[in-house]
Amino acid sequence: MNWIRAFVRDTRHLWTLLFLVVASGAGFLFVRSKMIPESFGQYGPYRATAMTDLAALPSRFQADATCLECHEDVGEERAEAVHITVRCVHCHGLGEEHIVQARKAAESSDVSIDPASDWDGDFMTKIDLYITKDRATCLACHESVVGMPEDFQKIDVAEHLEEMGAGEPEDPETCFECHGGHDTAP
Amino acid sequence: MSEKNDHSNCQCNDSNCAGEVDEVELRRQFLHKISTITMGTMTLALFPATAGDGSDGETAGGADLAGGNPADKESRPVYGFLVDTEKCIGAGKCLTACRVENNVPEGNYRTWVERYIHFKDGTVQVDLVPEEGFAGSNMPKVDPESVDRSYFVPKLCNHCEDAPCNQVCPVPASYKSPEGFELIDTDQCVGCSYCVQACPYGVRFINHDTGAADKCTWCYHRVMRDEQPACVEACPVGARLFGRVDDPESEISKRIAKIPTQVLKEHLGTGPKVRYVGISEEVT
Amino acid sequence: MPETSFVFPNDPHVPWSIMIVLYPYITGLVAGAFVVSALYHVFHQEVLKPVASLALVTALCFCAFATLPLLLHLHHPERAFYIMFMPSFTSAMSGFGFIYNFYILLLLVEVWLVFRPTIVERASTHSGISGVIYRVLALGVREISDRSRALDQWLIRALAIIGIPAACVLHGYVGFLFGAVKANPWWSTALMPVIFLVSAIVSGIAALILLYLFFSWRRGVKPDADCVRSLSRYLWGSLIVAFSLEMLELIHMAYESSAEWHVLSTLLTEHLAFSYGVVQVLIGSVVPFFLLMIATRPKLPPWMMNALSGLAGILLLVQVFAMRWNVVVGGQIFSKSFRGFVEFPLHWGGREGLVAAGIILVLPLVALWGASKLLPLWQTSES
Repeated sequence: MNWIRAFVRDTRHLWTLLFLVVASGAGFLFVRSKMIPESFGQYGPYRATAMTDLAALPSRFQADATCLECHEDVGEERAEAVHITVRCVHCHGLGEEHIVQARKAAESSDVSIDPASDWDGDFMTKIDLYITKDRATCLACHESVVGMPEDFQKIDVAEHLEEMGAGEPEDPETCFECHGGHDTAP
Repeated sequence: MSEKNDHSNCQCNDSNCAGEVDEVELRRQFLHKISTITMGTMTLALFPATAGDGSDGETAGGADLAGGNPADKESRPVYGFLVDTEKCIGAGKCLTACRVENNVPEGNYRTWVERYIHFKDGTVQVDLVPEEGFAGSNMPKVDPESVDRSYFVPKLCNHCEDAPCNQVCPVPASYKSPEGFELIDTDQCVGCSYCVQACPYGVRFINHDTGAADKCTWCYHRVMRDEQPACVEACPVGARLFGRVDDPESEISKRIAKIPTQVLKEHLGTGPKVRYVGISEEVT
Repeated sequence: MPETSFVFPNDPHVPWSIMIVLYPYITGLVAGAFVVSALYHVFHQEVLKPVASLALVTALCFCAFATLPLLLHLHHPERAFYIMFMPSFTSAMSGFGFIYNFYILLLLVEVWLVFRPTIVERASTHSGISGVIYRVLALGVREISDRSRALDQWLIRALAIIGIPAACVLHGYVGFLFGAVKANPWWSTALMPVIFLVSAIVSGIAALILLYLFFSWRRGVKPDADCVRSLSRYLWGSLIVAFSLEMLELIHMAYESSAEWHVLSTLLTEHLAFSYGVVQVLIGSVVPFFLLMIATRPKLPPWMMNALSGLAGILLLVQVFAMRWNVVVGGQIFSKSFRGFVEFPLHWGGREGLVAAGIILVLPLVALWGASKLLPLWQTSES
């Protein structure tokens, strides 16, 4: 049995090494088992709950239906208008606070809805509702720009106003004097 | 299969080239299948406890947009996106809508609109539509007399069939949802930016608020509750159309069947799912 | 084709910084240095015996810091291990964790086996801190028999043999990372892994010549003339192959003139004119070619050979760095619109700044200096 003893003695350093490697491998597998998310692999090699998380994000950009929950009259007013394709929020802002208040007010009479404020021109930060008749609202889409389709209603403001003999061309509400608001005629 | 339909539609609607496309398409599907099988086997080998257990998935949603059980292959909806450059007016309503909807940091873009101007002298100019639209911006005006033709091209994630961004992601951060959305798990992303490099369309970026890769999701969260993506909702002229292409009665399916459409950088074989109407070869 | 400049709006944020230039540079040095040690251990190039141990330890020292630039680059370095916990098998990058760990383990074991006699001996003779270090390194085994030594020699050779393909995979993989990005016409070529590999060997041999000359000078010993000449020959040969491949790739791109060539030609002539044309090609390849041609002449006096080889070594280290730079930076400063260019951001400070990059380059050398104090890098050559 001497050769066994000799073999063990001569290879002892390699066994130690092997033990260290295997131990770190086992450590790795242990840590890994703790790190893998529970829903990993449910549909594929990813965390299935990532989709649930994503799907739970709120919808911030409101479709007209939200507004029409209360403002049915505007809905009727706009039913036949050319601008039915323009969303409420394009002219009035996101109104996130307004919607929250309105929904609360519908449930309890203690809550009042803040009156609409004037537009500060910032769609991004302005989450309170605003009402605007500024002609910039119209020109954001209609100012004649190279690139627009042939059949789109393009306006060269100066030319158009002169043609129409508008009284006060500088008045921001000029457009609305002729074209109306919700029931815009062409 | 609507997907095949989808592909044989590119540029040519005549029957001559349909066979050829079909063959390519079949081959692609075959390769895709092989890679899926290989991957599945590898996953199974490594994660025997978790892989393959996809029986009890649930998603919210109604009948129109959302729907189907993601675990059930048969009932999974197939979505498509159609961009009509002949309708886009470059007002930028979609851009603000997207930024608000998805909290996109300033300086990064999940979607943008390019303007292509082909001048009469044969030159082409491309610029970026400002987010507030051209009105009120101080972009230099172009003389309409010198222009041969011009149009706006909205850009967004193509949610490619064989997405190179997904392929290169080393961790489970880039994944394709069972409904075919190419999505990012922000909690798993290591922020190596390899996917940003791999996307041929430049739609990915690193979001410095999260330190993770970010991009257009086709508003997955809205679609799953039966709403339109924010940019589609915001477009006043119907230049962006989103819907189920597996339903021949949907508006998008009808439009695709009627008009020739193209995809971007088709030669790269990524299988982009955003189809374009009215673009020329200059559009990259 | 494009008359005006237009870049995709996300493209100005260049995703890969100078850290990604350093990463292939450092792994290249690892692969190159390992190849030299393998020339001795596997291919029995006895003339390289004086640098065999140095080469192995150099490879280990650089390998130990190869992940540092990556960790500094990641936006979530704390998630770095996800790449091994949940690797995505479609991704070339997910192979990194496994390839790297395998390789550094191989290097560690091989270095340990090579120096075990010394470690065991000094574990008994040294006291104090160095004694503790040697005793830890001995892993509790304090005797060596002739038979165990023979076994170790056999293992060293086996590891060196496995190490050659492993080194090729380690670095070929880095080239593959770039070469397989089909979205990028400046990267997307099957030659990329090969070019990376060969230029890695260039940088590894160049670094070894310089280190050998430096350590010899510090120790007041004359460098072995045959060894330096042999290294210079290998360097010259691999330079010729590397440079030919680089030019071949370029000429191929230009001759093919595919759709994106217009943007690549502008890239080369305007944006990379200096770093590619002047640094990589002229100063970095043509000049060293002639320097090495002279240095490898057998009748040259050793001092002149050392001077010429050393100078060529410095230039080639710069060349390989420039090559990495031109790949990483060049591939990111044109927009994927193929209609415009963006700026490559360079800062002094910050996680991904030039100072951090400089420190990363010095750290392996510090480690090497430490290793030279701890291990007899020259014993094999002078015993």
